[in-house]
Amino acid sequence: MAVIETDGLTKLYGRARGIEHVTFSVEAAEVFGFLGPNGAGKTTTIRTLLDMLHPTRGSARIFGLDSHRESVAIRARLGNLPGDFGYGRQASGREALRLLARLRGIDGAGRAEALAERFHADLDRPLGQLSRGNRQKVGLILATFHSPELLILDEPTSGLDPLMQEEFLALVAEERERGCTVLLSSHELDEVERVCDRVGIVREGRLIAVERIEDLLGRARRTVTLELADPGDLAELRSLPGVTDLQALDGKVTFRVGGDLDAAIKAIAHHHVLDMELTHPSLEEIFLGYYGGGE
Amino acid sequence: MTAQAIALVRGHLSDRRRSLLAWGAPLGLWSAFIVVIFPSIENALSKAVQSYPTALKEAFGIGELTSVEQYLQAEMLSLIVPLALGYLAVRAVASGLSGAAESGRLDVLLSAPVSRRRLAAASFAATAVELAIVLVLTVLLTLLGGLVSGADLSLGAALAGYANVWPLALLFAGLGIVATGFSLRTSVVTGSVAGVLVTMYVIDLVGRLDPDLSGVRYASAFKYYGNAIEDGIDPLAFCGVTAVAIVLAAVGAWLFERRDLAA
Repeated sequence: MAVIETDGLTKLYGRARGIEHVTFSVEAAEVFGFLGPNGAGKTTTIRTLLDMLHPTRGSARIFGLDSHRESVAIRARLGNLPGDFGYGRQASGREALRLLARLRGIDGAGRAEALAERFHADLDRPLGQLSRGNRQKVGLILATFHSPELLILDEPTSGLDPLMQEEFLALVAEERERGCTVLLSSHELDEVERVCDRVGIVREGRLIAVERIEDLLGRARRTVTLELADPGDLAELRSLPGVTDLQALDGKVTFRVGGDLDAAIKAIAHHHVLDMELTHPSLEEIFLGYYGGGE
Repeated sequence: MTAQAIALVRGHLSDRRRSLLAWGAPLGLWSAFIVVIFPSIENALSKAVQSYPTALKEAFGIGELTSVEQYLQAEMLSLIVPLALGYLAVRAVASGLSGAAESGRLDVLLSAPVSRRRLAAASFAATAVELAIVLVLTVLLTLLGGLVSGADLSLGAALAGYANVWPLALLFAGLGIVATGFSLRTSVVTGSVAGVLVTMYVIDLVGRLDPDLSGVRYASAFKYYGNAIEDGIDPLAFCGVTAVAIVLAAVGAWLFERRDLAA
């Protein structure tokens, strides 16, 4: 059974666009990336799943429960890091943690101390005195300290320094190993590429594609750079279907290829190859392909 | 009360701990000052009051000013304390809901298994406790002023006078939750309910000044406020206003549950 399942989820704000007909599912122990630029509808989708916004049409189920009517039971089993995390200025992370633990009926603070040590988070200073990145660390701890079955993370690495981003990606991988399902919204395409199993691409309130990361990368056009001892005649390579943008200069040959590589490799094999480099497109390039060309 | 509700009330009070002192101490000290100076100005005051127009005395609930209780009623309990506590009540309830929405705290709390209705109810209950603490602090400082000055302030009268403010202020907390059902902007919630607070006071004042307009007082919660420091608490009015406050809070919680919480 899918952990998250939406069916035609729609949220309209008067004349302003929200989300329209968003349908997707996230399986257990899957890390699902929700990609799109600011204003695309990622946060609206997440807030609708969490019952903070009520859908105009359509429905969502989490753990098989209705996201509106059974919201409290759902939230008992998940952890959520809201976008642009805040908790007021006076309270410390530890005070927030104590309250959340009580609301969840947990004795103690679960693995909060271990997480605080791992992320070098200061739980004792008032949150108003912390930098955005350090506040975000506290937010991550509040979302994960109780080892939830589902983690919903809205732009989780915003404000984190590169080292902490690495630590965060490692944590997400560990959570998946533990059996936790993760829905991660981001426009940091590199991090999504590294941790997600599948990705949904959101554009102007609509989910325009849901793909496995490897399928996306596999179908996408790769760049091949060759260093040949004898460039000779490249007509065979040039004539192959899927090969484009072929350029040759001083023994260095560059071209882009989509789909199956076999024919291209066999054509190259007729030459004396000194060096070869195969570059996968970044998810950003793939994303821009979807986002830019979809009118 | 469940463990969740207790946790929410404690969390609210912890966040508002500075506010308890910031409101309780000035009101208490001001009140104590009134009690302290009374013995020295008692005679002059009585003569001055006798010269006041009858309508003015009725409007501000001033009968005679021959006792410290009457002086406290005129100086503190007829205007300053109910307006201040009414405003504090709105601020307190708004900080737990619209203020929490603005700071992002509401999103964090609603990530836990707690219903919006319970959150609103806890905010109301915490405000009720906050008001009681501020009133206790105020009355303690007032009684201390009485002891220091030798003013013959009756403990029972002082307790009744200040306790009587509690349901009135709580009513505006209930209105604050109703307002939260329509707006999550703290300035809108506090501004609109503070406007109702002042309007109700003015309506009651007009009704008392002009007997022909006395009917308008039914539109004001201040009609049921009375003069408890001299007459004692009217149990019917006390319980009635408290009940209305609870009903308003329940309606507000229902509205709050039905509204969108936009990012």
